[in-house]
Amino acid sequence: MSAAQVIQNPLLDKKLINAFIDGVKMTLSTMAQTNTVCGKPFIETDFKLRGDIAGMVGMVAPPMKGTLIISFPKESIFLIIKNMIGEEYTEITTDVSDAVGELTNMIYGSAKTSLNQMGYNFEMAIPTIVRGDFVISKTQVAATLVIPFQLENKSEFYIEITVS
Amino acid sequence: MFPTTTKFLVIDDFATMRKIIKKTLNELGYTLIEEADDGATAWPLIEAAHAKGEPYGFIISDWNMPKMAGIDLLKQCRAEDKYKGVPFMLVTAESEQKQILEAAKAGVSDYVVKPFNSATLKQKMEKVWAKFSQTAKVA
Repeated sequence: MSAAQVIQNPLLDKKLINAFIDGVKMTLSTMAQTNTVCGKPFIETDFKLRGDIAGMVGMVAPPMKGTLIISFPKESIFLIIKNMIGEEYTEITTDVSDAVGELTNMIYGSAKTSLNQMGYNFEMAIPTIVRGDFVISKTQVAATLVIPFQLENKSEFYIEITVS
Repeated sequence: MFPTTTKFLVIDDFATMRKIIKKTLNELGYTLIEEADDGATAWPLIEAAHAKGEPYGFIISDWNMPKMAGIDLLKQCRAEDKYKGVPFMLVTAESEQKQILEAAKAGVSDYVVKPFNSATLKQKMEKVWAKFSQTAKVA
């Protein structure tokens, strides 16, 4: 798949990118009083999952199918949880996994609402959490849009959207 | 506003959201708060509390849950005379018109869209109280 073909994909348009950026910013500022700085989005053809823990949700808007992954290194998710519920963590626990699931749910829900107002028809789905060493296999040719974010402690996290 | 003796049931499959709601309720002075992680586990709690003569005075439920969705629990409650008047708030990432209409048709007391802050939850609860206290006076 050429870069031109990827960019023409409706899931990778500017409105889609902005919907996810706004979803992240609004979710973290409202629920965790945490400001984020958005880096420059980029596309990669080989999927690489970043961080120590990630929330995944299937994005279905027939005939399009995609996956949203929000991946966090420990430093970023620990800061977000501390700001959100006042609990401090030093290890990835089931409570941390739970928080990643809820954040993924809120960010996807927020972006989905904006996108559906633009004419898409994304359905709601329940997120899955992955942690530790894992491999995600792609069964179809797809590209991944990566949007990096930085927090006040300079740690980063990533939105990764794969479409097919 | 609802008296601080009001007994709450908070339902969400994510413990994080239950903690956030519980924290807000605590800040508002409420301490009688029970939790369930799904509509299916909430229903027997609602029935048991009613049978014991200590019914919930306010139910706050997530919409999108794996076994039994909040909207289905709401419909189940409203189908029973004894739970028809119980304040029932849905908390959800869904904010599209069709969902709002479905919830209104099912008899939701109010609706909070995630992400939200404690001021929004408080404001919605005050709105539900205004309606609830008015209905109680008429009855």
